Amino acid sequence: MIITLRDINKTYPGAVPLHVLKDINLDIETGELVAIMGASGSGKSTLLNILGILDNYDSGEYYLNDVLIKNLSENRAAELRNRMIGFVFQSFNLISYKNALENVALPLFYRGVSRKKRNIMAMEQLERMGLSDRVHHLPGELSGGQKQRVAIARALVTQPSIILADEPTGALDSRTSSEVMDVFRQLNADGMTVVIVTHDPVVGSATNRIIQIVDGQIGLPNV
Amino acid sequence: MFDLIHEIAQTLRNNRLRTMLTGLAVAWGIFMLILLLGAARGVLNSFNDNVDHVNTIRFYGGRTSIPYRGYKDGRYIELRGSDMEAMMRETPGVKSVIAYASVDTAKIFTERDYTGGFNAVYPEVAEFNKIKMKYGRFVNNRDISEGRRVVVLHEKNARILFGDDSSAVGKVVRSLNLAWTVVGVYTHEWLDASYVPFSTYKALTGNRDYAYMLEATVDGMKTIDDGNAVENSLRGSLAKIHTFSPNDNSAVWTWNRFTSYLTNAAALGYLDMAVWIIGLFTLLSGIVGVSNIMFVSVRERTHEIGIRRAIGAKPRAILAQIISEGVAITAIFGYIGVFLGMAILQVINAVQGNSDGFKNPTVDINIAIKVTIVLIIAGAIAGLFPALKAIKVKPVEALRDE
Repeated sequence: MIITLRDINKTYPGAVPLHVLKDINLDIETGELVAIMGASGSGKSTLLNILGILDNYDSGEYYLNDVLIKNLSENRAAELRNRMIGFVFQSFNLISYKNALENVALPLFYRGVSRKKRNIMAMEQLERMGLSDRVHHLPGELSGGQKQRVAIARALVTQPSIILADEPTGALDSRTSSEVMDVFRQLNADGMTVVIVTHDPVVGSATNRIIQIVDGQIGLPNV
Repeated sequence: MFDLIHEIAQTLRNNRLRTMLTGLAVAWGIFMLILLLGAARGVLNSFNDNVDHVNTIRFYGGRTSIPYRGYKDGRYIELRGSDMEAMMRETPGVKSVIAYASVDTAKIFTERDYTGGFNAVYPEVAEFNKIKMKYGRFVNNRDISEGRRVVVLHEKNARILFGDDSSAVGKVVRSLNLAWTVVGVYTHEWLDASYVPFSTYKALTGNRDYAYMLEATVDGMKTIDDGNAVENSLRGSLAKIHTFSPNDNSAVWTWNRFTSYLTNAAALGYLDMAVWIIGLFTLLSGIVGVSNIMFVSVRERTHEIGIRRAIGAKPRAILAQIISEGVAITAIFGYIGVFLGMAILQVINAVQGNSDGFKNPTVDINIAIKVTIVLIIAGAIAGLFPALKAIKVKPVEALRDE
C-alpha cells in the first residue's frame, strides 16, 4: 500500500468555516493508475495538496509509503516531497528563465547532487520523454505538450514513489492531451504509481480506477 | 557553492533592469562614502604632514598687563638668546631651546638687486621646518660657535640677487654694510626667508641678544596636562629672568604646538567618525533600496518560490539564495562604486593633491577592507527581511498564484 488515508478532515477557517474534506478514507496500491475526479470545489485539489504534503490536514492519519505524514516541519516536508513525490501541474510550473535541462535538474540541486551528475540524470529523463533535441530550449520556446513532458521528466528525475498530477491536460488540446496520457500510461506500465486529479472524463477513462469526490466525500465508484 | 553562484547569476541576469536600478543606488552610496573618506583622508594627510616636531613650544616677547615687583604694567618684554640656558636647566624634559631673531631692516644687496631682511637662527630650524637644501648647506654649529658671516638663501631670492640660483653658493652679498658669504640655497613650499647664524647677528648688535622667538623642544609629553605643565614651567623661567608675574599671560605669548596638536588630532578623529556616519547613512538609503527591490522581487517570484518549495527546496535553501542575491547585488555594485570613487579621488589627487590643507586624498587597503565588510553586512541585511518573507510563503499558496 503506497497511500493510506484514514478519516482525513480538513476545514478552511474563516467567517464561515469551510469543511472541504469529510472523513476521507482511501487506499492506493503500488503500481496503480488512479484518477481523482470531482466538480470544482468538491475538494479534490485540497486532497491532492494533502497527498503531496503541500498542505496540512486537521484530523486523521495519512501514510505515504508507511511513513506517517502529520505535523511535519517545513524542512522534513520539503525533504519528503523531494524524495517521494513527483509533481505534474496544469500550468506546467516550469521556471521560465531556465532551460529544459536546468528545470529537470532543479529537484536534484535541492537534494545536493553534483552538477555533472544531475545533468546526466536530467538528460536521461528528457531522452525518455523524447525531448533530447529540446534540452537547451527555454520553456517559452516549447509547445504545451513539450512543456508538460519536461515537467513529467522533472517529476521523474528524483525517482519518486508516486507521481501526483493536477489537471495535467487542463491546458492542452485534445490530441496533445491523449499523448500526455499515453506517457502516464507508459510510466504506469513501467511500474510507477500515478495519481491524476482531473475533471475531464476522457482523462478519467484513460486510468484504471476513478475515485469520485463529491462535497468533500468519496463517492461511489461509477465505472 | 558554485551552484549557488550560478543560481544567483541566473536570477540577476533574468531581471537585468531591476538589478541595474538597485545596483545603482548601492554604487552611489559607496561612491559617496569613498569620496567622503578620501576627502577626509586628504585633510588628515595634510595635517599629519605638518605635524612633525609637534613637541615644541614657542615663546614671543609681549607686553605686561599686571604690575609686578614695583614695575608698572604696559612694559615691553624682550626675550634674549641667553634665556635659553635657564629654560633648559629649570624644566626637566627640555631637549633644546633655540632662538630666532627676525631682522626686517637688514636688506640683502648685490649689484644686481636686493631682497628683504634676514632671520638669525640656529641649525635646528632647517629640520623643524623641513627646509630642503638645493645647493650648498644650511647654517651649522661651527657658524654659530665662530660667529661666521654666512647666509642661506631661498632659491627665489638667489635668482633675484644673482639671476641664477645654481651659481649663488660661494658668492658674496652685502647686508648691514658688511659682506656675507652665501653658503646654501634651499627650497620650501612657503618659507622664503634668508637665514644667518644667530650668534653672528648677536655680535653685530653689540650683544643686545634680542630674540624674536624662543622655541623649546620637549621630550616625554603625553597629555594636554603634561603640555600645559611644561609650558608653565618654561614661562616661569622667563618670568624670573624678566621680572614679570608668572600669571601675566600677555607678558610672553606662547604657541604650544603640542597641546594644539592634541586638540586638532581629537577634532580630526571626530571628522573621520562623522564622515563614516554620513557615508553609512548615504549607503543606508542604497540598502533600503536593495531591500525594497528584493521585496518586490520576492513578491514577483512568489510562484517561482512555490515551485521550488514543491519540488523540495528547504526553507533554508530559499533563505540562503535570497540573502546571497542581496549580498551579490550589493557587493558587485558596491565595488563598482568603490572603483569609481577611487578613480575620481585619483583625478582630484592629480589636479590638486598637493595644495595646503589637502594632501593625497586617497583611500588605502584598510579602508577598502572595512568597506568590503560593510558591503557584505549591508547586503545580508538587505536580503534578510525579504528572505524571511519568502520562506513564509506556503508552497500551496504560491502554486495557486497565477
